Amino acid sequence: MYRPVITLSALSALVATTAAMAAAPLEISSRMLVEKRVAARDGTTRIDMVAAEKVVPGDRVTFVVAYRNTTRQPIADVVLANPVPRAVAYRGVGAGTPAPDVSVDGRTFAPMPALRVGTTGGGMRPATADDVVAVRWRLPAPVAAGASGQLAFQGVLR
Amino acid sequence: MTERGVRRLLRAGAGLAAMGSAGSAIAAPTIAGTVITNQAQATYTVNNIPATASSTVASFVVDRKVAFTTVSAQATTTKVSIGQANVVTTFTLTNITNGTQDFILEPEQLNLPTGVLIGTDNFNVDNIRVFVDSNNNQTYDIGVDTGVFIDELAPDTSVTVFIVGDVGSPANPEQAFVALHATVAAGGATGTPGAALNSTDLALLNREGVEDIVFADDDSDGLALGDLPRNGQGRAYAAYEIGTRAVALTIAKSARFVSDGVNLLTPARALPGAIVEYCLTVTNTTPLVPANSVALTDIVPANTTFVPGSILVGGLGTGDVCVGNGFPQNDDGSNTIGPYTGSYDAATRTVRAGIPAVILGIPLSASFRVTIN
Repeated sequence: MYRPVITLSALSALVATTAAMAAAPLEISSRMLVEKRVAARDGTTRIDMVAAEKVVPGDRVTFVVAYRNTTRQPIADVVLANPVPRAVAYRGVGAGTPAPDVSVDGRTFAPMPALRVGTTGGGMRPATADDVVAVRWRLPAPVAAGASGQLAFQGVLR
Repeated sequence: MTERGVRRLLRAGAGLAAMGSAGSAIAAPTIAGTVITNQAQATYTVNNIPATASSTVASFVVDRKVAFTTVSAQATTTKVSIGQANVVTTFTLTNITNGTQDFILEPEQLNLPTGVLIGTDNFNVDNIRVFVDSNNNQTYDIGVDTGVFIDELAPDTSVTVFIVGDVGSPANPEQAFVALHATVAAGGATGTPGAALNSTDLALLNREGVEDIVFADDDSDGLALGDLPRNGQGRAYAAYEIGTRAVALTIAKSARFVSDGVNLLTPARALPGAIVEYCLTVTNTTPLVPANSVALTDIVPANTTFVPGSILVGGLGTGDVCVGNGFPQNDDGSNTIGPYTGSYDAATRTVRAGIPAVILGIPLSASFRVTIN
Protein backbone atom coordinates (compact mmCIF):
# COMPACT_ATOMS: atom_id res chain seq x y z
CA MET A 1 0.00 0.00 0.00
CA TYR A 2 2.90 2.33 -0.64
CA ARG A 3 1.28 4.18 -3.47
CA PRO A 4 -2.07 5.15 -1.90
CA VAL A 5 -0.29 6.50 1.17
CA ILE A 6 1.77 8.84 -0.99
CA THR A 7 -1.30 9.60 -3.06
CA LEU A 8 -3.27 10.64 -0.02
CA SER A 9 -0.59 12.97 1.25
CA ALA A 10 -0.18 14.40 -2.21
CA LEU A 11 -3.92 14.77 -2.49
CA SER A 12 -4.27 16.65 0.74
CA ALA A 13 -1.77 19.09 -0.63
CA LEU A 14 -3.81 19.28 -3.82
CA VAL A 15 -7.03 19.84 -1.92
CA ALA A 16 -5.40 22.73 -0.13
CA THR A 17 -4.28 24.33 -3.39
CA THR A 18 -7.62 23.82 -5.13
CA ALA A 19 -9.46 25.25 -2.15
CA ALA A 20 -7.21 28.27 -2.34
CA MET A 21 -8.09 28.76 -5.99
CA ALA A 22 -11.46 30.29 -6.82
CA ALA A 23 -12.97 27.37 -8.76
CA ALA A 24 -11.40 24.30 -10.30
CA PRO A 25 -11.62 24.33 -14.08
CA LEU A 26 -12.42 20.64 -14.00
CA GLU A 27 -14.81 19.94 -11.18
CA ILE A 28 -14.78 16.32 -10.05
CA SER A 29 -17.05 14.66 -7.57
CA SER A 30 -16.85 11.18 -6.13
CA ARG A 31 -19.81 9.22 -4.89
CA MET A 32 -20.28 5.69 -3.63
CA LEU A 33 -23.63 4.03 -4.20
CA VAL A 34 -25.20 0.73 -3.25
CA GLU A 35 -28.13 -1.15 -4.65
CA LYS A 36 -31.30 -1.04 -2.63
CA ARG A 37 -34.15 -3.33 -3.45
CA VAL A 38 -37.50 -1.61 -3.28
CA ALA A 39 -40.69 -3.63 -3.44
CA ALA A 40 -43.19 -2.08 -5.80
CA ARG A 41 -46.96 -2.32 -5.41
CA ASP A 42 -47.32 -4.65 -8.36
CA GLY A 43 -45.13 -7.24 -6.65
CA THR A 44 -41.99 -6.57 -8.66
CA THR A 45 -38.76 -5.45 -7.14
CA ARG A 46 -37.06 -2.30 -8.29
CA ILE A 47 -33.38 -1.73 -7.65
CA ASP A 48 -32.53 1.82 -6.68
CA MET A 49 -29.03 3.16 -6.38
CA VAL A 50 -28.71 4.96 -3.07
CA ALA A 51 -25.81 6.56 -1.22
CA ALA A 52 -23.70 3.94 0.52
CA GLU A 53 -24.93 4.23 4.07
CA LYS A 54 -25.70 0.64 4.96
CA VAL A 55 -22.85 -1.45 3.63
CA VAL A 56 -21.69 -4.79 4.98
CA PRO A 57 -19.07 -7.21 3.65
CA GLY A 58 -20.22 -8.80 0.44
CA ASP A 59 -22.23 -5.81 -0.71
CA ARG A 60 -21.62 -4.39 -4.18
CA VAL A 61 -20.58 -0.75 -4.18
CA THR A 62 -20.68 1.45 -7.28
CA PHE A 63 -18.08 4.22 -7.46
CA VAL A 64 -19.18 7.16 -9.56
CA VAL A 65 -16.70 9.78 -10.71
CA ALA A 66 -18.47 12.77 -12.25
CA TYR A 67 -16.64 15.62 -13.93
CA ARG A 68 -17.68 18.99 -15.32
CA ASN A 69 -15.85 21.64 -17.24
CA THR A 70 -16.58 24.88 -15.42
CA THR A 71 -14.57 27.01 -17.85
CA ARG A 72 -15.36 28.57 -21.22
CA GLN A 73 -12.70 26.63 -23.05
CA PRO A 74 -12.23 22.95 -23.75
CA ILE A 75 -10.18 20.82 -21.37
CA ALA A 76 -8.01 18.27 -23.12
CA ASP A 77 -5.91 15.25 -22.22
CA VAL A 78 -8.09 14.44 -19.26
CA VAL A 79 -6.87 11.46 -17.25
CA LEU A 80 -9.01 10.39 -14.33
CA ALA A 81 -7.54 7.98 -11.81
CA ASN A 82 -9.26 6.39 -8.87
CA PRO A 83 -7.56 4.18 -6.32
CA VAL A 84 -9.68 1.21 -5.33
CA PRO A 85 -10.02 1.22 -1.54
CA ARG A 86 -8.13 -1.66 0.00
CA ALA A 87 -11.28 -3.13 1.56
CA VAL A 88 -12.96 -3.25 -1.84
CA ALA A 89 -12.45 -5.89 -4.53
CA TYR A 90 -12.73 -4.44 -8.04
CA ARG A 91 -15.50 -6.03 -10.08
CA GLY A 92 -15.54 -4.13 -13.40
CA VAL A 93 -17.02 -0.99 -14.85
CA GLY A 94 -20.53 0.32 -14.63
CA ALA A 95 -22.95 0.43 -17.55
CA GLY A 96 -21.87 2.86 -20.26
CA THR A 97 -18.38 3.29 -18.90
CA PRO A 98 -15.46 2.28 -21.12
CA ALA A 99 -13.05 -0.28 -19.76
CA PRO A 100 -10.32 1.51 -17.83
CA ASP A 101 -6.67 0.76 -17.60
CA VAL A 102 -6.06 -0.91 -14.28
CA SER A 103 -3.07 -1.21 -12.02
CA VAL A 104 -2.05 -3.93 -9.62
CA ASP A 105 0.77 -1.94 -8.04
CA GLY A 106 -0.48 1.65 -8.22
CA ARG A 107 2.32 2.61 -10.62
CA THR A 108 1.80 0.96 -13.98
CA PHE A 109 -1.56 1.08 -15.71
CA ALA A 110 -2.59 -1.22 -18.55
CA PRO A 111 -5.60 -3.21 -19.73
CA MET A 112 -6.23 -6.12 -17.38
CA PRO A 113 -5.04 -8.91 -19.75
CA ALA A 114 -1.63 -7.27 -20.03
CA LEU A 115 -0.93 -7.38 -16.30
CA ARG A 116 0.86 -10.05 -14.33
CA VAL A 117 1.29 -10.44 -10.59
CA GLY A 118 3.89 -12.38 -8.66
CA THR A 119 2.91 -15.53 -6.87
CA THR A 120 4.19 -16.80 -3.54
CA GLY A 121 6.09 -19.51 -5.43
CA GLY A 122 8.13 -16.86 -7.23
CA GLY A 123 6.34 -17.20 -10.56
CA MET A 124 3.93 -14.89 -12.34
CA ARG A 125 0.24 -15.27 -13.05
CA PRO A 126 -2.31 -13.20 -14.97
CA ALA A 127 -3.89 -10.44 -12.91
CA THR A 128 -7.48 -10.84 -11.81
CA ALA A 129 -10.03 -8.30 -10.70
CA ASP A 130 -9.13 -9.02 -7.06
CA ASP A 131 -5.61 -7.73 -7.71
CA VAL A 132 -6.67 -4.30 -8.96
CA VAL A 133 -5.64 -1.44 -6.67
CA ALA A 134 -6.43 1.47 -9.00
CA VAL A 135 -8.30 2.26 -12.20
CA ARG A 136 -7.60 5.01 -14.73
CA TRP A 137 -9.43 6.44 -17.73
CA ARG A 138 -7.92 8.56 -20.46
CA LEU A 139 -10.73 10.52 -22.10
CA PRO A 140 -10.37 10.23 -25.90
CA ALA A 141 -11.77 13.66 -26.66
CA PRO A 142 -11.51 17.06 -24.95
CA VAL A 143 -14.29 18.02 -22.58
CA ALA A 144 -16.10 20.93 -24.17
CA ALA A 145 -16.85 24.10 -22.24
CA GLY A 146 -19.64 23.47 -19.77
CA ALA A 147 -19.81 19.79 -20.67
CA SER A 148 -19.91 17.05 -18.09
CA GLY A 149 -19.80 13.31 -17.86
CA GLN A 150 -19.39 10.50 -15.45
CA LEU A 151 -17.58 7.20 -15.14
CA ALA A 152 -18.42 4.36 -12.86
CA PHE A 153 -16.88 1.16 -11.63
CA GLN A 154 -18.05 -1.47 -9.22
CA GLY A 155 -16.49 -3.32 -6.38
CA VAL A 156 -17.48 -5.66 -3.60
CA LEU A 157 -16.75 -4.83 0.01
CA ARG A 158 -14.40 -7.53 1.22
CA MET B 1 16.14 10.77 -0.58
CA THR B 2 16.14 11.32 3.15
CA GLU B 3 16.86 8.51 5.51
CA ARG B 4 13.28 8.71 6.74
CA GLY B 5 11.96 8.49 3.21
CA VAL B 6 14.02 5.39 2.53
CA ARG B 7 12.69 3.76 5.66
CA ARG B 8 9.14 4.55 4.60
CA LEU B 9 9.73 3.08 1.19
CA LEU B 10 11.20 -0.08 2.68
CA ARG B 11 8.26 -0.47 4.98
CA ALA B 12 5.91 0.04 2.07
CA GLY B 13 7.75 -2.63 0.08
CA ALA B 14 7.35 -5.13 2.89
CA GLY B 15 3.66 -4.29 3.02
CA LEU B 16 3.27 -4.97 -0.67
CA ALA B 17 4.94 -8.35 -0.37
CA ALA B 18 2.67 -9.27 2.50
CA MET B 19 -0.36 -8.25 0.46
CA GLY B 20 0.75 -10.42 -2.42
CA SER B 21 1.05 -13.52 -0.28
CA ALA B 22 -2.27 -12.90 1.43
CA GLY B 23 -4.05 -12.57 -1.88
CA SER B 24 -4.49 -16.28 -2.37
CA ALA B 25 -5.89 -16.94 1.10
CA ILE B 26 -9.53 -16.32 1.96
CA ALA B 27 -9.64 -12.69 2.91
CA ALA B 28 -11.09 -11.83 6.28
CA PRO B 29 -14.16 -9.61 6.08
CA THR B 30 -13.69 -5.91 6.50
CA ILE B 31 -14.11 -5.12 10.18
CA ALA B 32 -17.18 -3.10 11.11
CA GLY B 33 -16.43 0.56 11.72
CA THR B 34 -13.75 0.72 9.04
CA VAL B 35 -14.07 3.99 7.12
CA ILE B 36 -13.96 3.54 3.36
CA THR B 37 -13.03 6.71 1.51
CA ASN B 38 -12.75 7.38 -2.16
CA GLN B 39 -11.21 10.26 -4.05
CA ALA B 40 -10.51 10.45 -7.76
CA GLN B 41 -7.78 12.56 -9.22
CA ALA B 42 -7.31 14.00 -12.67
CA THR B 43 -4.69 15.50 -14.88
CA TYR B 44 -5.61 17.60 -17.91
CA THR B 45 -4.50 20.47 -20.07
CA VAL B 46 -6.12 23.80 -20.76
CA ASN B 47 -4.53 25.55 -23.72
CA ASN B 48 -1.68 23.05 -23.43
CA ILE B 49 -1.02 24.09 -19.86
CA PRO B 50 -1.07 20.99 -17.64
CA ALA B 51 -3.07 21.02 -14.45
CA THR B 52 -4.32 18.62 -11.85
CA ALA B 53 -7.51 18.29 -9.89
CA SER B 54 -8.93 16.01 -7.31
CA SER B 55 -12.48 15.13 -6.58
CA THR B 56 -14.59 15.51 -3.53
CA VAL B 57 -14.00 12.79 -0.96
CA ALA B 58 -16.76 10.23 -0.56
CA SER B 59 -16.78 7.98 2.48
CA PHE B 60 -18.89 5.55 4.37
CA VAL B 61 -18.48 3.44 7.48
CA VAL B 62 -18.58 -0.33 7.10
CA ASP B 63 -21.58 -1.59 8.99
CA ARG B 64 -21.73 -4.53 11.34
CA LYS B 65 -23.13 -7.60 9.60
CA VAL B 66 -24.08 -9.76 12.54
CA ALA B 67 -24.04 -13.44 11.75
CA PHE B 68 -23.23 -16.51 13.78
CA THR B 69 -24.16 -20.15 14.01
CA THR B 70 -25.19 -22.14 17.05
CA VAL B 71 -25.11 -25.91 16.63
CA SER B 72 -25.10 -29.00 18.76
CA ALA B 73 -21.65 -30.56 18.77
CA GLN B 74 -22.85 -34.05 19.55
CA ALA B 75 -24.26 -36.60 17.15
CA THR B 76 -26.27 -38.51 19.75
CA THR B 77 -27.82 -37.96 23.13
CA THR B 78 -25.74 -37.74 26.27
CA LYS B 79 -26.27 -41.00 28.18
CA VAL B 80 -26.88 -40.39 31.85
CA SER B 81 -28.04 -42.34 34.85
CA ILE B 82 -30.35 -41.55 37.75
CA GLY B 83 -28.69 -39.34 40.32
CA GLN B 84 -25.72 -38.46 38.13
CA ALA B 85 -24.33 -34.96 38.69
CA ASN B 86 -22.71 -32.59 36.18
CA VAL B 87 -24.00 -34.22 33.02
CA VAL B 88 -22.87 -32.32 29.93
CA THR B 89 -24.25 -31.49 26.50
CA THR B 90 -21.91 -29.73 24.08
CA PHE B 91 -22.52 -26.96 21.56
CA THR B 92 -20.42 -24.93 19.15
CA LEU B 93 -20.94 -21.24 18.45
CA THR B 94 -19.15 -19.66 15.50
CA ASN B 95 -18.95 -15.91 15.03
CA ILE B 96 -19.10 -14.89 11.38
CA THR B 97 -19.78 -11.24 12.11
CA ASN B 98 -17.28 -8.75 10.67
CA GLY B 99 -16.35 -7.78 14.19
CA THR B 100 -15.56 -9.16 17.63
CA GLN B 101 -18.67 -9.95 19.65
CA ASP B 102 -19.79 -11.09 23.06
CA PHE B 103 -22.59 -13.61 23.23
CA ILE B 104 -25.11 -13.92 26.05
CA LEU B 105 -25.87 -17.56 26.81
CA GLU B 106 -28.96 -19.06 28.40
CA PRO B 107 -29.65 -22.74 29.00
CA GLU B 108 -33.26 -23.67 28.40
CA GLN B 109 -35.33 -26.78 28.92
CA LEU B 110 -38.88 -25.52 29.32
CA ASN B 111 -41.32 -24.84 26.50
CA LEU B 112 -38.96 -26.07 23.81
CA PRO B 113 -40.41 -26.51 20.34
CA THR B 114 -41.41 -30.03 19.49
CA GLY B 115 -40.25 -31.67 16.31
CA VAL B 116 -36.63 -30.59 16.48
CA LEU B 117 -35.34 -33.61 18.37
CA ILE B 118 -36.55 -37.18 18.16
CA GLY B 119 -37.82 -38.94 21.25
CA THR B 120 -39.87 -38.19 24.33
CA ASP B 121 -38.87 -35.24 26.47
CA ASN B 122 -40.37 -36.23 29.80
CA PHE B 123 -38.00 -35.01 32.47
CA ASN B 124 -35.84 -32.01 33.26
CA VAL B 125 -32.35 -31.88 34.65
CA ASP B 126 -31.81 -29.99 37.88
CA ASN B 127 -29.40 -27.13 38.50
CA ILE B 128 -29.04 -26.38 34.78
CA ARG B 129 -26.06 -24.15 33.99
CA VAL B 130 -24.06 -23.01 30.99
CA PHE B 131 -20.29 -22.70 30.72
CA VAL B 132 -17.80 -21.69 28.03
CA ASP B 133 -14.88 -23.96 27.20
CA SER B 134 -12.02 -21.83 28.51
CA ASN B 135 -9.10 -24.03 27.46
CA ASN B 136 -10.43 -25.08 24.07
CA ASN B 137 -10.28 -28.82 24.76
CA GLN B 138 -13.96 -29.44 23.95
CA THR B 139 -14.34 -31.11 27.35
CA TYR B 140 -16.12 -29.65 30.36
CA ASP B 141 -13.63 -29.19 33.16
CA ILE B 142 -15.29 -28.51 36.51
CA GLY B 143 -13.85 -25.41 38.11
CA VAL B 144 -11.86 -24.54 34.98
CA ASP B 145 -14.59 -23.77 32.49
CA THR B 146 -16.41 -21.17 34.55
CA GLY B 147 -17.29 -18.40 32.09
CA VAL B 148 -21.03 -17.99 31.65
CA PHE B 149 -20.93 -15.75 28.56
CA ILE B 150 -18.77 -15.72 25.45
CA ASP B 151 -16.26 -12.93 25.78
CA GLU B 152 -14.69 -11.19 22.78
CA LEU B 153 -15.11 -13.85 20.10
CA ALA B 154 -13.13 -12.75 17.05
CA PRO B 155 -14.54 -13.00 13.52
CA ASP B 156 -14.45 -16.46 11.96
CA THR B 157 -13.67 -18.23 15.20
CA SER B 158 -15.59 -20.83 17.15
CA VAL B 159 -15.97 -21.66 20.80
CA THR B 160 -17.42 -24.67 22.59
CA VAL B 161 -20.24 -24.16 25.09
CA PHE B 162 -21.47 -26.69 27.63
CA ILE B 163 -24.86 -27.08 29.26
CA VAL B 164 -24.35 -28.79 32.60
CA GLY B 165 -27.05 -30.23 34.83
CA ASP B 166 -27.76 -32.81 37.49
CA VAL B 167 -30.11 -35.75 37.07
CA GLY B 168 -32.49 -36.24 39.98
CA SER B 169 -34.89 -39.12 40.41
CA PRO B 170 -37.67 -38.50 37.91
CA ALA B 171 -40.36 -41.11 37.39
CA ASN B 172 -40.04 -43.23 34.23
CA PRO B 173 -37.53 -40.87 32.63
CA GLU B 174 -36.60 -41.17 28.97
CA GLN B 175 -35.02 -37.98 27.70
CA ALA B 176 -34.48 -34.39 28.80
CA PHE B 177 -34.23 -31.95 25.89
CA VAL B 178 -32.19 -28.81 26.46
CA ALA B 179 -31.48 -25.79 24.28
CA LEU B 180 -28.62 -23.33 24.17
CA HIS B 181 -30.02 -19.87 23.52
CA ALA B 182 -27.35 -17.43 22.32
CA THR B 183 -27.87 -13.70 21.82
CA VAL B 184 -25.29 -11.51 20.12
CA ALA B 185 -23.95 -8.71 22.30
CA ALA B 186 -21.52 -5.85 21.97
CA GLY B 187 -17.86 -6.68 22.23
CA GLY B 188 -15.08 -4.38 23.25
CA ALA B 189 -14.82 -4.83 27.01
CA THR B 190 -12.82 -7.91 27.98
CA GLY B 191 -14.25 -9.72 30.98
CA THR B 192 -17.54 -7.87 30.88
CA PRO B 193 -20.64 -9.07 29.06
CA GLY B 194 -21.74 -6.49 26.50
CA ALA B 195 -25.31 -5.39 26.02
CA ALA B 196 -27.43 -7.30 23.53
CA LEU B 197 -27.28 -5.72 20.09
CA ASN B 198 -30.27 -4.23 18.34
CA SER B 199 -30.40 -3.88 14.59
CA THR B 200 -30.42 -0.33 13.29
CA ASP B 201 -33.73 0.94 12.00
CA LEU B 202 -33.50 0.86 8.23
CA ALA B 203 -35.67 3.94 7.93
CA LEU B 204 -33.21 6.21 9.69
CA LEU B 205 -31.60 8.81 7.46
CA ASN B 206 -28.08 10.15 7.32
CA ARG B 207 -26.44 6.98 8.47
CA GLU B 208 -23.41 6.97 6.16
CA GLY B 209 -21.12 8.41 8.83
CA VAL B 210 -21.91 5.89 11.54
CA GLU B 211 -21.78 2.16 11.93
CA ASP B 212 -25.11 0.41 11.56
CA ILE B 213 -25.95 -3.01 12.89
CA VAL B 214 -27.43 -5.37 10.36
CA PHE B 215 -28.65 -8.77 11.52
CA ALA B 216 -27.80 -11.45 8.97
CA ASP B 217 -27.95 -14.54 11.18
CA ASP B 218 -29.85 -17.55 9.95
CA ASP B 219 -32.74 -19.55 11.38
CA SER B 220 -30.66 -22.01 13.36
CA ASP B 221 -33.07 -24.94 13.16
CA GLY B 222 -34.25 -24.14 9.63
CA LEU B 223 -37.83 -24.71 10.73
CA ALA B 224 -38.68 -21.33 12.24
CA LEU B 225 -39.50 -23.17 15.46
CA GLY B 226 -37.15 -21.82 18.09
CA ASP B 227 -35.32 -19.23 16.03
CA LEU B 228 -36.02 -16.84 13.22
CA PRO B 229 -33.63 -15.48 10.61
CA ARG B 230 -32.08 -12.07 11.22
CA ASN B 231 -33.00 -11.76 14.88
CA GLY B 232 -29.52 -11.74 16.40
CA GLN B 233 -30.25 -14.95 18.26
CA GLY B 234 -29.64 -18.63 17.80
CA ARG B 235 -30.77 -21.84 19.44
CA ALA B 236 -29.35 -25.32 19.28
CA TYR B 237 -30.70 -28.45 20.89
CA ALA B 238 -29.35 -31.57 22.55
CA ALA B 239 -30.77 -34.25 24.79
CA TYR B 240 -29.88 -36.18 27.89
CA GLU B 241 -31.06 -39.79 27.71
CA ILE B 242 -31.32 -42.18 30.60
CA GLY B 243 -28.89 -44.86 29.48
CA THR B 244 -28.60 -46.80 32.72
CA ARG B 245 -32.05 -47.52 34.08
CA ALA B 246 -33.03 -49.01 37.38
CA VAL B 247 -34.51 -52.47 36.95
CA ALA B 248 -36.91 -53.98 39.43
CA LEU B 249 -35.07 -57.25 39.99
CA THR B 250 -36.01 -59.72 42.71
CA ILE B 251 -34.29 -62.90 43.81
CA ALA B 252 -36.11 -65.68 45.66
CA LYS B 253 -34.55 -68.72 47.25
CA SER B 254 -36.36 -71.96 47.99
CA ALA B 255 -35.27 -75.35 49.22
CA ARG B 256 -36.66 -78.73 48.26
CA PHE B 257 -35.86 -82.09 49.79
CA VAL B 258 -35.09 -84.39 46.96
CA SER B 259 -34.58 -87.60 48.95
CA ASP B 260 -33.64 -88.64 52.44
CA GLY B 261 -32.67 -92.24 51.76
CA VAL B 262 -35.39 -93.45 54.10
CA ASN B 263 -38.77 -92.31 52.87
CA LEU B 264 -39.29 -93.24 49.29
CA LEU B 265 -42.94 -92.43 48.73
CA THR B 266 -43.66 -89.86 51.39
CA PRO B 267 -42.05 -86.43 51.26
CA ALA B 268 -38.39 -86.47 52.13
CA ARG B 269 -37.37 -85.33 55.60
CA ALA B 270 -34.40 -83.34 56.81
CA LEU B 271 -32.42 -86.33 57.91
CA PRO B 272 -28.66 -86.64 57.83
CA GLY B 273 -27.69 -87.77 54.34
CA ALA B 274 -30.77 -86.22 52.79
CA ILE B 275 -30.30 -84.32 49.52
CA VAL B 276 -31.60 -80.76 49.41
CA GLU B 277 -31.95 -78.73 46.21
CA TYR B 278 -31.64 -74.96 46.62
CA CYS B 279 -33.32 -72.91 43.92
CA LEU B 280 -32.54 -69.24 43.22
CA THR B 281 -35.02 -67.51 40.91
CA VAL B 282 -34.43 -64.11 39.37
CA THR B 283 -37.46 -62.06 38.30
CA ASN B 284 -37.48 -58.77 36.40
CA THR B 285 -40.70 -56.75 36.53
CA THR B 286 -39.50 -53.76 34.43
CA PRO B 287 -41.06 -53.63 30.96
CA LEU B 288 -38.75 -53.38 27.97
CA VAL B 289 -35.54 -53.15 29.96
CA PRO B 290 -33.58 -56.38 30.41
CA ALA B 291 -31.42 -56.96 33.45
CA ASN B 292 -28.07 -57.83 31.96
CA SER B 293 -25.18 -59.86 33.35
CA VAL B 294 -26.96 -61.05 36.45
CA ALA B 295 -24.43 -62.66 38.80
CA LEU B 296 -25.66 -64.84 41.65
CA THR B 297 -23.60 -66.07 44.57
CA ASP B 298 -24.68 -68.32 47.41
CA ILE B 299 -22.77 -69.87 50.29
CA VAL B 300 -23.38 -73.53 50.91
CA PRO B 301 -24.93 -73.73 54.41
CA ALA B 302 -22.96 -75.09 57.32
CA ASN B 303 -23.39 -78.77 58.12
CA THR B 304 -24.13 -79.57 54.52
CA THR B 305 -21.93 -80.76 51.69
CA PHE B 306 -22.11 -79.53 48.12
CA VAL B 307 -23.09 -82.24 45.65
CA PRO B 308 -20.48 -82.09 42.86
CA GLY B 309 -21.85 -81.46 39.40
CA SER B 310 -25.25 -80.36 40.67
CA ILE B 311 -25.29 -76.77 39.38
CA LEU B 312 -28.03 -76.09 36.85
CA VAL B 313 -28.51 -72.57 35.43
CA GLY B 314 -31.06 -71.06 33.07
CA GLY B 315 -34.17 -73.11 33.87
CA LEU B 316 -37.55 -71.47 34.23
CA GLY B 317 -38.10 -70.09 37.72
CA THR B 318 -41.86 -69.68 37.70
CA GLY B 319 -43.43 -69.10 41.11
CA ASP B 320 -40.07 -68.90 42.81
CA VAL B 321 -39.42 -72.60 42.32
CA CYS B 322 -37.25 -74.27 39.74
CA VAL B 323 -39.29 -75.55 36.84
CA GLY B 324 -37.35 -77.55 34.35
CA ASN B 325 -33.71 -78.26 34.64
CA GLY B 326 -31.69 -75.52 33.01
CA PHE B 327 -28.21 -76.13 31.71
CA PRO B 328 -25.69 -78.14 33.74
CA GLN B 329 -22.51 -76.31 34.62
CA ASN B 330 -19.13 -77.77 35.49
CA ASP B 331 -17.96 -77.08 39.03
CA ASP B 332 -14.66 -75.66 37.76
CA GLY B 333 -16.48 -72.94 35.83
CA SER B 334 -15.85 -74.36 32.38
CA ASN B 335 -18.90 -74.09 30.20
CA THR B 336 -20.44 -77.07 28.50
CA ILE B 337 -23.53 -75.78 26.77
CA GLY B 338 -25.77 -72.73 26.79
CA PRO B 339 -25.17 -69.03 27.45
CA TYR B 340 -25.03 -69.44 31.24
CA THR B 341 -22.11 -69.83 33.63
CA GLY B 342 -21.71 -71.58 36.98
CA SER B 343 -18.99 -72.74 39.35
CA TYR B 344 -18.33 -73.98 42.88
CA ASP B 345 -15.46 -72.70 44.98
CA ALA B 346 -14.74 -75.38 47.58
CA ALA B 347 -12.45 -73.15 49.64
CA THR B 348 -15.11 -70.52 50.29
CA ARG B 349 -18.03 -72.94 49.83
CA THR B 350 -19.47 -70.48 47.29
CA VAL B 351 -21.71 -71.33 44.41
CA ARG B 352 -21.68 -68.84 41.55
CA ALA B 353 -24.09 -68.57 38.61
CA GLY B 354 -24.24 -66.11 35.74
CA ILE B 355 -27.29 -65.26 33.62
CA PRO B 356 -26.74 -62.99 30.59
CA ALA B 357 -30.17 -61.37 30.58
CA VAL B 358 -33.45 -61.52 32.44
CA ILE B 359 -36.51 -59.95 30.83
CA LEU B 360 -40.04 -59.25 31.96
CA GLY B 361 -42.19 -62.38 32.24
CA ILE B 362 -39.42 -64.96 32.01
CA PRO B 363 -37.87 -65.53 35.45
CA LEU B 364 -34.80 -67.72 35.29
CA SER B 365 -33.31 -70.01 37.88
CA ALA B 366 -30.07 -71.43 39.19
CA SER B 367 -30.03 -74.48 41.39
CA PHE B 368 -27.57 -76.69 43.22
CA ARG B 369 -27.80 -79.57 45.64
CA VAL B 370 -26.32 -80.33 49.02
CA THR B 371 -26.40 -83.29 51.35
CA ILE B 372 -27.08 -82.87 55.04
CA ASN B 373 -24.11 -84.05 57.11
